[in-house]
Amino acid sequence: MVEIQGVSKSFQKTVKHNSTELKALADVNLSIRENEFVSIIGPSGCGKTTLLKIIDGLIPCDSGQISISGKRVTAPGPDRAVVFQSFALLPWRTVLANVEFSLELRQLPKDERTKTARDYLHRVGLADFENHYPHELSGGMQQRAGLARALAVNPMILLMDEPFGAVDAQTRQLLQEELLQLWQRERKTVIFVTHSMDEAVYLSDRVVVMTPRPGRVAEVLDVPLPRPRPADEVRRDPKFVDLTNYIWDSLKKAMANHH
Amino acid sequence: MNNRIGTNVLSILSLAILWEVVGRSVDSVLIPPLTQISAAWWKLLASGKLLPNLTMSLATLAAGFFLAVLLGIVVGLLMGRFRAVEHFLDLYVNSLMSAPATAFVPVLILWFGLGVQSRIAVVFLFAVFVIIINTMTGVKQVDSILVEMARSFGAKEREIFLKIILPASLPAIMAGVRLGMGRAVKGMVTAEMLLTLTGIGAMIMQYGSAFATDSLFAVIMTILLIAMIATKLVQWVDRRLTGWKAEIAVE
Repeated sequence: MVEIQGVSKSFQKTVKHNSTELKALADVNLSIRENEFVSIIGPSGCGKTTLLKIIDGLIPCDSGQISISGKRVTAPGPDRAVVFQSFALLPWRTVLANVEFSLELRQLPKDERTKTARDYLHRVGLADFENHYPHELSGGMQQRAGLARALAVNPMILLMDEPFGAVDAQTRQLLQEELLQLWQRERKTVIFVTHSMDEAVYLSDRVVVMTPRPGRVAEVLDVPLPRPRPADEVRRDPKFVDLTNYIWDSLKKAMANHH
Repeated sequence: MNNRIGTNVLSILSLAILWEVVGRSVDSVLIPPLTQISAAWWKLLASGKLLPNLTMSLATLAAGFFLAVLLGIVVGLLMGRFRAVEHFLDLYVNSLMSAPATAFVPVLILWFGLGVQSRIAVVFLFAVFVIIINTMTGVKQVDSILVEMARSFGAKEREIFLKIILPASLPAIMAGVRLGMGRAVKGMVTAEMLLTLTGIGAMIMQYGSAFATDSLFAVIMTILLIAMIATKLVQWVDRRLTGWKAEIAVE
């Protein structure tokens, strides 16, 4: 459903008039199935976030192409929604108005916006906080609002950019479980960028390991753990432990080959 | 908050007592006691001298300040949003911001004559640059992640401007408006003293040269009062508009 073919991307980095080319992605190929949960993992600076932005259509790639259901991506579209690492909530809007924001841009009438936004706030467990401002909420709750805003437009594909990277460890585990439950109900394709091996294995159907810059696909691994995945049981499962260890080795190998 | 008001009252009371004591022990031409100033103020008010002059001054202030806010915000938004506009204008805006606006008074007399237009122009010149610079800075400091977020949900340029840039830079714009208000009051008095002797500026010059120190202080206190009320007014609007920003409520 999502086809990533030969995607490369470089940036011009200018420091005091000296322009150097920074190769972020080199010939990335990947194909993602409908309703699949895929994690992309790699060392920092390997271009994971860049790849996600290219899939969303926020930035163009230099060569190669991305197509969704056969249609080439050139700009952000209603079939995709992003969840940002820093939440990207509007501080002058209440939680409810923040979720309505995405619906406003889709030109939904006001009462319908409010109804839909309330519905999704309820689904992420924020029903009682709709009139709070973001700065009054914890990081975990802010990201729930970010998730509700993305889900509210009912996208086919959810693009998540280290969404739980800025919350504490316990909240992180809780959010992971909730995300899986939501995903099982809503059936969406999720592309999830992370640098946590544990998180990638726990959540995903497949884990894509990327090399350091310029990022390429080093390895794609299937996660054969049955669903639903109760957090405590899964993390004790020897298969889970083996897989995380394997990914760790794979990352180390990718890094060693690089130097 | 209650504590603060209490401290404010205490501060005013102790200053008033100190003033009265010092005023009574030195020559009253130099420092008239506060009671004498209050009497002079009451006389000015009752004789019908203060209010017409005050009204005229405030009308000048309002007109000049309104124009400065309008143009300041528009130019500041354009400079913050478009690099080309910024590079085209920042040289002038920055130098005019630090240059003494008083220096332009003779030029304004040439252009606008000695009438009310000149005085409005002085108020405008005093206030406009600080509003431009604060607005521009506000726009440039908008978190780029928010713009990216809006774009990812399909926002067009116009929507990004209205729904992200404008509200996000509002605290900075209001800070500029607040600073501009202070400068506008200075411009008003300067214009009335340097340009044509009108309004409360004229009263200052008149009582100053006549050594009517009690009336002089009465006028100066009126100006302080105007400045205080004007600033409070802007702060009130600010809090209405940007109450979401917790830090802004702290002055």
